[in-house]
Amino acid sequence: MGSVKLQARLLAVFLLLLGGGSIAYQLLVQNVPLSQDEKDPVWVVDAQVSFSAKANKPVKVRMFVPPLGVGYTTLNESFISNNYGVNVNVEKGNRQVTWSSRRAEGNQYLYYRLMLTPRYADAPENDPGPQFRPAPTLDGPDKLAADALLEPIRQHSADVETFISETIKRVNELENDNVQLLLGSDVSPENRASVIDLLLAVAHIPAEPVHTLRLAETQEQQPELWLRSFNGKKWLYFNPLNGQQGLPEDRLVWWSGPGPLLNIEGGKSADVSFSVHENEMSALQLAQSLRLKDVSSFIDFSLYELPLPAQQLYRILVMIPVGVMLVLFIRSLIGMETLGTFTPVLIALAFRETQVVWGVLLFTSITAIGLSVRSYLEHLKLQLLPRLSVVLTFVVIAMALISLLGYKLGMGSGLSVALFPMVILTMVIERTSIVWEERGGTQSLKVALGTLVAAIFCHLLMVWQPLVYFVFTFPGVLLCLAAIMVLMGHYRGYRLTELLRFRAMVDGDKR
Amino acid sequence: MFWSKTRKALRARGVMGINQRNGDYILRYNKRSLYPLVDDKIQTKQMALDAGIRVPHMYGTIATEQGISTLHRVVEQHRDFVIKPAQGAGGDGIMVIADRFEDYFRSASGRIITTEELEHHISGIISGIYSLGGHRDQALIEYRVRSTELFNRISFEGVPDIRIIVLKGYPVAAMLRLPTRQSQGKANLHQGAIGVGLDLASGVTLDGTWHNLKIERHPDTANPVAGLTVPDWQECLELAARCYDLTGLGYLGVDLVMDHEHGPMMLELNARPGLNIQIAMDDGLLRRCQIIEKQLEALKDETRPVAERVAFAKQQFAVAGPVPAEEE
Repeated sequence: MGSVKLQARLLAVFLLLLGGGSIAYQLLVQNVPLSQDEKDPVWVVDAQVSFSAKANKPVKVRMFVPPLGVGYTTLNESFISNNYGVNVNVEKGNRQVTWSSRRAEGNQYLYYRLMLTPRYADAPENDPGPQFRPAPTLDGPDKLAADALLEPIRQHSADVETFISETIKRVNELENDNVQLLLGSDVSPENRASVIDLLLAVAHIPAEPVHTLRLAETQEQQPELWLRSFNGKKWLYFNPLNGQQGLPEDRLVWWSGPGPLLNIEGGKSADVSFSVHENEMSALQLAQSLRLKDVSSFIDFSLYELPLPAQQLYRILVMIPVGVMLVLFIRSLIGMETLGTFTPVLIALAFRETQVVWGVLLFTSITAIGLSVRSYLEHLKLQLLPRLSVVLTFVVIAMALISLLGYKLGMGSGLSVALFPMVILTMVIERTSIVWEERGGTQSLKVALGTLVAAIFCHLLMVWQPLVYFVFTFPGVLLCLAAIMVLMGHYRGYRLTELLRFRAMVDGDKR
Repeated sequence: MFWSKTRKALRARGVMGINQRNGDYILRYNKRSLYPLVDDKIQTKQMALDAGIRVPHMYGTIATEQGISTLHRVVEQHRDFVIKPAQGAGGDGIMVIADRFEDYFRSASGRIITTEELEHHISGIISGIYSLGGHRDQALIEYRVRSTELFNRISFEGVPDIRIIVLKGYPVAAMLRLPTRQSQGKANLHQGAIGVGLDLASGVTLDGTWHNLKIERHPDTANPVAGLTVPDWQECLELAARCYDLTGLGYLGVDLVMDHEHGPMMLELNARPGLNIQIAMDDGLLRRCQIIEKQLEALKDETRPVAERVAFAKQQFAVAGPVPAEEE
């Protein structure tokens, strides 16, 4: 016995681990949304390119666009233009779009739109970068200034990371003579970055500028310049203006390298303006639209892969163990009596089609009619089988009459008595009448009431949308339920009703 | 908190709950394949007769609708008899005929019953109204047990019976079940009969239980139920203990009746005996079962003779507390 108990416990633990593991995997690795209402931010980045074309000249506009699938999942990308050919090519980790046209005139507008979401994104890739670069040859005052600046930097730094931040700090001390010499009169971020780059180059430390966009609700923004360097393990990002280290979460790397964002041939006074909007999309919808784009998502190998009608069916079926579990609790822990184990669950299923209030009214009235017909037939001394058959026939007649009455009174929709509830109803009457025969009226009323109460609770639980979503999305829950059921099989405690029943034995103690 | 307090108090008294009875006793000691032996009274009776255990004499059985017409031949020789479903549960469907005249019968409660009514009742039994799960059944017609004078003071109509719970052949608990007006002569507790605890050592009645309450007097006769001694008590216990060897069911409820002429008779066996006996005895079944299980462990499951098992039970479960072994 002890070994059997242990075995059952091991089985329960195994099932629990399996179910819990699959839920954890779906939640943590596949990022499956925990609830149906979970919303994900969707960023819509618009870039508007405007320029005026030179008359009668071919136009070629080159613009960097972000590399796809780094840190964010791309939902949609579109290039909108009139009379332009579009071509996208990838070069050194950057993507560049080329709009070209044989001729254009006047003000031209080109649009680029990108929709991104942080969910289901792969971790940013770690393409290793160079760790060494040859020093450029400097001469004259530049060399002196650079050496003068690098001397204290070397002293105040321990590794590449601190060296870079120290360099940034120094270069941003604009009153420093050496810095002024290197910067000249241009103190723009770009120039500062290039001076920092220069100093790092002298120290053989590779660095490259990256241009980022902030994903926040903005009408107008310009790419922000950052510096990054590969330290052998990962990329380190630095803000060249204040030495801030680490790229904030909401930054999107647009392109890297010193090249300008826009390159235009055959046009002038070009300008790019960015605007960012935040949208919301239900996480589930997101997963489904990603699936259409053939991006691997949790939809694969889940119940969502089934055709829609089958999905609808399984949404109901997966809830049956939940209902059975509730009946188990009601019977084994509370001790309420019901007709069989599955009858309350089946009635609960029938309530789906009739709605609870109507269902309860319908069930009680028809069961009452059925039972009263039955008791009259007993008076006639009919045998069991013919009697039950007559009862069932009258049940059908009663249902038809009620439906007809409801329809005439204009409640047709509320009383859709489908075939399914009818079969269950006849079964309930049969069972109730057998209990009535065997145990008498009070007992059968008690059992019928218990069944009805259990059915109502089962129904409420089984149509509770968040739970339906949860069980349907994480079928591992079913294994966890099975584990609890296995454990319940060895539950030896008192039922709640037994505490009442045996109360007399305890009261005696107190006297 | 009330619930946890009650729970603890019940646990301390060794009260057995349904979950525990089902899981640790019925499931463990009662092999499912042995159930038909006790669910079918005809089989039980046959088995008991073969083993020499006294049972009420069987006049005949009726298994088919056609067979109903043979009723008059079966009961020809007998003025009084009992009709019961062979696979009935909880005393339902039992009809006791006390007397007959011409074509009429008189039930134990004095109601006049026509032959037609009697035949309808048998037809109901055969079609399975009273059987577990509604299967077809047989009607059993047997000797009507009449109670000893002693019990008449504290019962109302009907025949009181003695329920003894037997664990692996050791009697662990016993109660006397007394019919009341409400139970209509039936001795089943859920139908309103009274259960009166019995001292296993002496067969003396203790206080009783009625609808889960503790009572001291019979609600119909107002006579105190405690202090009576059941006659032939040793024989009753041995009879009950033997039923284990007979059926192989380890956790068994044995129902005995005291006939005024023939003494104790085995009426029926129950593989899922109820738990109300605990209230009647004012003692927990679990506590007693565990004593037996400990003893079995000490004996390494060796089967001891009936007399020895009964002696052990009498010694352990005396109301005054365990009797020192030397006295036995």
